[in-house]
Amino acid sequence: MTQDEIIRELLDFIAADDAAESAFDRLALEIFAYQFKHNEPLRKFCLQRGRTPRTAKSWRDIPAVPINAFKELTLSCCAREDAERVFMTSGTTMGGLRGKSHHPNLAVYDASMTTHFKQRFMPDRDRIDMGILFPDEDVMPNSSLAHYLALALEHFGTDDSRNEMGKSGIDFDALFGWLERAETTGVPYALLGASYSFVPLLDEMKRRDVRFALPAGSRMFDTGGFKGQSRDISADDFYTQLSDSFGVPRRWCINMYGMTELSTQFYDNGNEVCPSVKSGPHWIRSRVINPLTGEDVPRGDVGVLTHCDLAHFNIVSTILTEDAGVEVDGGFLLLGRADGEEAKGCSMAVEEFLKAANVAATG
Amino acid sequence: MIERAGYLPGVAANDIAWQTLRFGGNENPIEIAVPELSDHQMQSMAATVRTASRKLKARPTQQIVESIDRTVARLLDRSEPIRQKAEDLLPRVTGYDAEMVRLGLTGYLKTFRKPELQKFLAEDFANPMMLDDFQPMPKGGLARAFGPDILAHIWAGNVPGLPIWSLVSGLLVKAGNIGKVPSAEPLFAGWFAQLLAKTEPEIADCLAVVWWQGGDTAREAALLREADVVLAYGGNDALAAIRGRVPITTRYLPYGHKVSFGMVSKSALNSRKVTATAHQAAYDVVRYDQQGCYSPHVFFVQRGGKISPKEFCQYVAHELAAFEKKYPRRSLSVSEAGAIAAWRHQEEIKSFGEGGRQILSDATGAWSVVYSEDSEDLAPSGLNRTIKIVAVDELADVAPRIAPYRKFLQTVGISAPPDELYALGALLGQEGITRISALGHMTAPEAGWHHDGRFNLLDLITITEIEGSAEKAADAFARYAD
Repeated sequence: MTQDEIIRELLDFIAADDAAESAFDRLALEIFAYQFKHNEPLRKFCLQRGRTPRTAKSWRDIPAVPINAFKELTLSCCAREDAERVFMTSGTTMGGLRGKSHHPNLAVYDASMTTHFKQRFMPDRDRIDMGILFPDEDVMPNSSLAHYLALALEHFGTDDSRNEMGKSGIDFDALFGWLERAETTGVPYALLGASYSFVPLLDEMKRRDVRFALPAGSRMFDTGGFKGQSRDISADDFYTQLSDSFGVPRRWCINMYGMTELSTQFYDNGNEVCPSVKSGPHWIRSRVINPLTGEDVPRGDVGVLTHCDLAHFNIVSTILTEDAGVEVDGGFLLLGRADGEEAKGCSMAVEEFLKAANVAATG
Repeated sequence: MIERAGYLPGVAANDIAWQTLRFGGNENPIEIAVPELSDHQMQSMAATVRTASRKLKARPTQQIVESIDRTVARLLDRSEPIRQKAEDLLPRVTGYDAEMVRLGLTGYLKTFRKPELQKFLAEDFANPMMLDDFQPMPKGGLARAFGPDILAHIWAGNVPGLPIWSLVSGLLVKAGNIGKVPSAEPLFAGWFAQLLAKTEPEIADCLAVVWWQGGDTAREAALLREADVVLAYGGNDALAAIRGRVPITTRYLPYGHKVSFGMVSKSALNSRKVTATAHQAAYDVVRYDQQGCYSPHVFFVQRGGKISPKEFCQYVAHELAAFEKKYPRRSLSVSEAGAIAAWRHQEEIKSFGEGGRQILSDATGAWSVVYSEDSEDLAPSGLNRTIKIVAVDELADVAPRIAPYRKFLQTVGISAPPDELYALGALLGQEGITRISALGHMTAPEAGWHHDGRFNLLDLITITEIEGSAEKAADAFARYAD
């Protein structure tokens, strides 16, 4: 298949209501064969695992590429210079190496985002007044989240929607103005951003002693969590604070789980209970595996998440994350990172060593 | 069953709040009750320990040596109930193979028998009698060594028995000891204290073993306030945080996480010697699943022997497979398995661009050996029986590759002929290595070992000197002065 054929087929697949396992398998294997042919590092990886498109009978047989590989290898079927857009990870680990995802164009990415966002965040309306708490695409052209939020703003925001994150952080006065306006007019409002963007906002609200009671239909959106940030808040505390500070029920505080190494995102149906159940649309499927054997763990056991995202067609559709999870009815629970735990003894672990070595090199 | 951890002289048992820690998974569950002291209880316990430590200072060091020796003899005796409890419970708490724990305990405890304790003393004191009384100094005058009234120990990790090292060091310098056990292995230090108290009731109050949840800075502060010297183990972040809370007038001795490695000379790589060499190398990897600061992460193996470094990998892999049958690796948490997987993937990815790299491992991921032809720097492995073997032309070439990491280096296990051993010793010492052992002995330091190149006992004491001038002046006031 050619790139154009795959894109066409994917757009149809995404636009369909649902997909049977067999339909998913068929397209997954076609895309695997396409990637195997056009993506040399992936081919080497699969051969080392003893897998080729010939021996893969189901999406479950496709070797999952660890996300660290995105940092070391250029995993792209199209030539790098033909990529319209390259999304990169933030590079907080591995000495600043950044994982890259090349997209020949964003048609599939955008269709994946808008279709699923509509289903999960905007099931009841077409547009909403939006405030975005994240730098925009001009500031962060390689951030998939910046693009994602720009899509939200463009396709689902009203004319009164805007990005509230300036060069020097959130414009609190302007934002509070919009929130007050929503309170008085009774028009629902949505606030979207990285989880850690909400921390300075909540701090500032505490400092000024302000709270809002946003009208019914208002909603909150956060993504990314707090790992590695200056402050670690439990999810439960975070949603309690969010709900109390803005008057939005926890059912409408929605968390998105996504990553640069995917073109499709997962959502929960609110955070009345933490950890919430996450699920994706019909063009992504997930497994919970033992990372050492690659086998599925017994249902209900904790393992590492792998995702097969058809929309990530140009790069690698089946990835092995570093996220621990457990399969439950209707999706999975996300239980945080599955590595970087401190060693049990006094032996140094890789993460600690890299960190210490970096400090030694720079300090 | 519930086992109580800790040892708390001077605190009424009924008043203690106990927390429960659970171990052993579903198959072999075990609950351990750990004490959580109030500020007031910590104060009164510290007062008890301090008073006892004053009495200890009047006791000859040799008597203390004999007390420890008798206690350790009981712990070595497999009919002793506490020893039996240790053999039963420690594997369940830590997950380590039972036979490995049993053998490890015996080997380790043997380093605290009377002759070994004398070595601890002799290593640090030209004249150990200065712990008992003022002794003449070469420069003139007299000097006596005093241990702290309260030595606080903050232990970390799950390698069974580790706390005994610093506890014994504290007792040898007549310190009162209060130790905080980690949640990962909260038992052994308390058992040692209980047994010492039973064997030697007169010094029963000289040590206490407490617990608090990691990160409970309020309880930690209660101990830090009482301590004269603080000794802490752990990761650098945890140690730095503690340093910020130790009063400036209190001596602080941090022992951070370390990286160790092995070196194999081509002289050890012929058909007669290679099996033994590989066995020893694998043994160092298997012992406590590389959780020790002295555990190897990399073996640098010299080219040019009858057996090539690449062939040596096969031998090591074979030995690891055999050890897995004899002493299976403990079962891993998802994070630990994830760390191994991440490490292996990293190596796998590197192998795409590099023909010489090879990864050997078993299907369940119980062990992995990575072989590299590249001139690689030292870096930690994925732990839990994952090792990298790096081929080098000359072992001396390794020195510059470890230089950037000197702050984190500790042990090197070496298989090499004498002239190479001494030449490497000089090179490695300059780069920050503090201990060189034979391969196969990396995880069992000798009694009196200078941990991280420091002094087990001297670092704990202060010296009080009576200078020559005071002696001379005193003479003038004697009854018998002319």
